[in-house]
Amino acid sequence: MNDGNQLKRFVGASKYVLDDELAKIVNISMALEMPLLLKGEPGTGKTMLAHAIAEALNMRLIVLNVKSSMKLIDCLYQYDTLTRLNDSRFGDSKRDVSNIEEYIRMGKIGQAFVSDERVVLLIDEIDKADTDFQDDMLDILDQMHFDIIEIDKTMKAKNRPIVVITSNAKKDLSDPFLGRCNFHHIAFPEPDMMRSIVQVHFPDIDKELLNSTIQAFYRLREIKSIEKKPATRELINWIRALRSDPDFLVKDLIKGHIPYLGVLFKKSPDLFVAQKALGHFRP
Amino acid sequence: MFVDFFYTLRKVGVPVTPTAFLRLHQALSMGLINSVDDFYTAARAILVKSERYFDLYDQVFAHRFEGVELREPDENELSDIARSLLEEWLKDPQMLANILGINESELGKLSPEELIKYFLERLKEQTEAHHGGSKWIGTGGTSPVGHSGYHPGGMRVGGISRNRSAVKVAMDRRYRDYSQEGPLTQSQMGEALKRLRHMVPVGPKDKVNVSETIYQTVRNAGEIEIVFERSLKDRLKVILAIDNGGWSMEPYVEMVQTLFNYARAQFKDLKTFYFHNSIYNYLWEDPQRYYKPYPVEELVRFDQATRFIIVGDASMAPYELMAQNGSIYYGERSGRASLDRLQFISETFPHSSWLNPVSVFEWKYTYTIGVIREIFPMFPLTLDGLEKAVVHLMRKN
Repeated sequence: MNDGNQLKRFVGASKYVLDDELAKIVNISMALEMPLLLKGEPGTGKTMLAHAIAEALNMRLIVLNVKSSMKLIDCLYQYDTLTRLNDSRFGDSKRDVSNIEEYIRMGKIGQAFVSDERVVLLIDEIDKADTDFQDDMLDILDQMHFDIIEIDKTMKAKNRPIVVITSNAKKDLSDPFLGRCNFHHIAFPEPDMMRSIVQVHFPDIDKELLNSTIQAFYRLREIKSIEKKPATRELINWIRALRSDPDFLVKDLIKGHIPYLGVLFKKSPDLFVAQKALGHFRP
Repeated sequence: MFVDFFYTLRKVGVPVTPTAFLRLHQALSMGLINSVDDFYTAARAILVKSERYFDLYDQVFAHRFEGVELREPDENELSDIARSLLEEWLKDPQMLANILGINESELGKLSPEELIKYFLERLKEQTEAHHGGSKWIGTGGTSPVGHSGYHPGGMRVGGISRNRSAVKVAMDRRYRDYSQEGPLTQSQMGEALKRLRHMVPVGPKDKVNVSETIYQTVRNAGEIEIVFERSLKDRLKVILAIDNGGWSMEPYVEMVQTLFNYARAQFKDLKTFYFHNSIYNYLWEDPQRYYKPYPVEELVRFDQATRFIIVGDASMAPYELMAQNGSIYYGERSGRASLDRLQFISETFPHSSWLNPVSVFEWKYTYTIGVIREIFPMFPLTLDGLEKAVVHLMRKN
């Protein structure tokens, strides 16, 4: 255990409102050198957390956006055979064709390993990939080294990165995977928490607008049979839209007239349902 | 040692592994946890891996840490833990070795008896190490009392015989998963369903076809000619219709859930429907079978090549299947027998089969199973049955 790591504690960042509980969990995962798995509704700030950790601890952030078609090897390294073939034909590059190592390019996990400084590695939306990918990846992150077969070389991590993994819980993750992570579920923020989140983004927002937008927002979230409920991101964009509209008056909102619904509801059936539901709200 | 806590969690159904438990101790010994609050969050992050269990965890935590005295574990409990450690070790020696900070190969040399002994001693060390540190336990009447005084090297004779049986238990566990008749696990389903796929080339031409490239290059007298092609992707469409209602399916819920979880992970193009007992006018898209009905006639909109898999016990009163108004739900009476509906589905989707969790040897006792078997090829929901079903579903004609 490196003492330097313990001194570095995560206490929040400029654009991220951190609750105590999550701060503790982040710090414990950092100390135990275990990946932290974050689950929760979209828009609860799972991805933002990694950005905030990187910002607060002044580390580089490497983001691996998982896609369903991804293979593990792509995240580690790539052997650029085509460039090598090309070089061997025309010989006009400075690379040494007989040295395969010059044609190995690091993937995202590889980059995190070879970096001279400790980095934050964000593995975003792990649940998109299949189970084998997940298990194999955790093996790599556990052992902190992988082999490059083409040059018979083992890449060892210079510094153990801080690993944050997010999942939208579309699929259940496998047991061995869960066994190797610390887990936290980020609940959707309470109105009070949301108020401070909005204030971080709009420091100069006036109280009346803040209160009435948040009230309207939570009321809209309660409409039944909405497929994708508006989340933090939508709220912030919505407030931005309201503030940039010179004709908008806060008291319209209180009366139940809600403009720019399209910013909050991204799916047309949802928008339709919301409009219908709002019809009942109006006096 | 919070052995009680650990076991209470397991007893109420939170899947906590000994490895995670050890990790919690690692965190404790690193001085990361300085209050009951810290302990609460840390233990939850480390031990509980799904928000489904957060509530249970809270209950256990409250029960365990409010005014209840902590007591040191006795020899029995320690050997229980040591046994589960052995199980863990069998599954993944390396991980455990890492946590304990010892060399895996050294552990490997030990006999099972020695291993148990070794784990026991490690656990005792942990106990003693943490005994002094009452700091992280905090207040509220939870300070550890009554250290029962272990001899570091000593072990009772009775302990040894227990250990031997423990090894046996661990071994039994280990092999049961491989047996054909055993309950289906996710990985076994994976094995069985692996062949259920339909590879077609899609997307941009971004894959080098090596042999074709060599061929063309040679034809070109050495002038390199790279041949690209589309990569193969699984484009199999699957519809899964699950009987999720009624008492008769209750015993099989877990098995069906495993299948369902696997299917969700495996198939890109999966549509799930629910029904109760048999299929009448509607299938439902929501498990409550309430909000989103889907008319059976509309199924023709799906691709004919879709594999239609029905999971259900096919056991019901004959009239539910044969009578024109057979549904047990009043609002669903339509004038067409369920049998006709099933016939319709099997005609719409030539590749269909029925998976039945009831074991084959009971099939002949239920009349409706016999009738449905005439419409859909039926297979038992076992490893063997799944394999046969997959072969059937992937037949060319």
